[in-house]
Amino acid sequence: MFPKKMVMIVGVIVLIAVNIILLSVFNRRYISYYGSGKIAISIVAPFQKATSTSIRFVRDIWRHYFFLVSVAKENERLRKDLNRAFEKNIQFKDFELSNARLRNLLNFQKTITDRVLAAEVIGKDPSPWFKTVLIDKGKRDGVEKGMAVVIPEGIAGQTTEVSAHYSKVLLIIDHNSAVDALVQRDRARGIIKGGSAGQCLFKYVLRKHDVVVDDIVVSSGLDGVFPKGLAVGYVSGVIKPKSGIFQEVTVTPYVDFEKLEEVLVVLTPKKHEFEREK
Amino acid sequence: MTYCYHVCICLFLIIVQTTVMPYIPLFQGFYDLLAPFVIYLCIFRPLRESIPVILFFGLVMDTISGGTFGLYLTTYLWLFIGVRWVITFLHVGNNPLLPFIVVAGVFMENLIFVSSSVIFEPGLRFTSEMSITIGVQVFWAIFTGPMFLLFFNYSFGKWDKRVKEISTRKVDR
Repeated sequence: MFPKKMVMIVGVIVLIAVNIILLSVFNRRYISYYGSGKIAISIVAPFQKATSTSIRFVRDIWRHYFFLVSVAKENERLRKDLNRAFEKNIQFKDFELSNARLRNLLNFQKTITDRVLAAEVIGKDPSPWFKTVLIDKGKRDGVEKGMAVVIPEGIAGQTTEVSAHYSKVLLIIDHNSAVDALVQRDRARGIIKGGSAGQCLFKYVLRKHDVVVDDIVVSSGLDGVFPKGLAVGYVSGVIKPKSGIFQEVTVTPYVDFEKLEEVLVVLTPKKHEFEREK
Repeated sequence: MTYCYHVCICLFLIIVQTTVMPYIPLFQGFYDLLAPFVIYLCIFRPLRESIPVILFFGLVMDTISGGTFGLYLTTYLWLFIGVRWVITFLHVGNNPLLPFIVVAGVFMENLIFVSSSVIFEPGLRFTSEMSITIGVQVFWAIFTGPMFLLFFNYSFGKWDKRVKEISTRKVDR
């Protein structure tokens, strides 16, 4: 009835349309494919762990035993100390500001220090278009979907898929990621989204706020995933358009995602509990 | 045993690109190593053998990647359909044509990834960084793609020969 070529063309068009619709459905509603996801991660992750452990073992031997043993160790220790001091400094600054502002307004309950779990990065995303990593801790270690993943320099990402022994972490530089954040100095609020070239976009920051380059951006804690006051990055670019209500702010994360090897999973995210009025 | 070979090769490629290559700065921005494998299946292996491998590893890649679920599966299936269509009128068993097929495959894969990001992420625009990423991948594909195809073909030949030898020996006993 119809020429074969015509049928072929229509078939391909229908196939493409169905394909786009299916992808759109999966994209809008993140479905955690517990069955297939768990199996696939369980197949691949042990090999990834064995390989990355071997690579690190060889590299560590080289670094620590053949290449300036003492200097490397000293350097590593100092770097850790510096990172810790850096993190503390940012936290203290944030605590100082929030204390001064809120002391008279709210009766804050003393929050318990978050429980964290150290994990190793065992694999990175196969595609340069998406930014995720696999870590070697899973459900059996207490990790759950939607937990914050941090390192001393700042926020790294959050867990999006958890199998028995391994988890997938969506990094903050992925364009699907969103972190509720504040500018530490003037408390301008916005959403940190993944941008291009390892940078983040600080979206929905109102034009009225005086955000300047080098301002520190910290997590607000309002997304219920990341504890409040953790460093995200520093402002590296601000564009105030002539029209519109928001300004375009670019944030450079403190975390070097190319060198991400060990991370901390925050097991009990801080809940801001306000004492009820008696 | 043929499936065993395919599973081993795919696992090896996934491990290399997710665990080994990130440690080597030179290979940052390298293309998806499973793309030449899918092309190899299209050109050198029968349909009934290729489809299950593509479906399974498409799902595996979707699970370990941060993209929309089904994106890798979609990409590999369209890559498969595209290359199958091309080989109906091009004799790609000819080695000089292999680089072009791999480059076209890698380009198509990136095009699907970028298109899906632009379509499903409101506000996301095609940037110069994206074109650089695609350019680097295409550059790598021109020079290394055909080598991968020839390696897959050669190693499968060796594997098949070895398996046949072993099974013949068993029959003789």
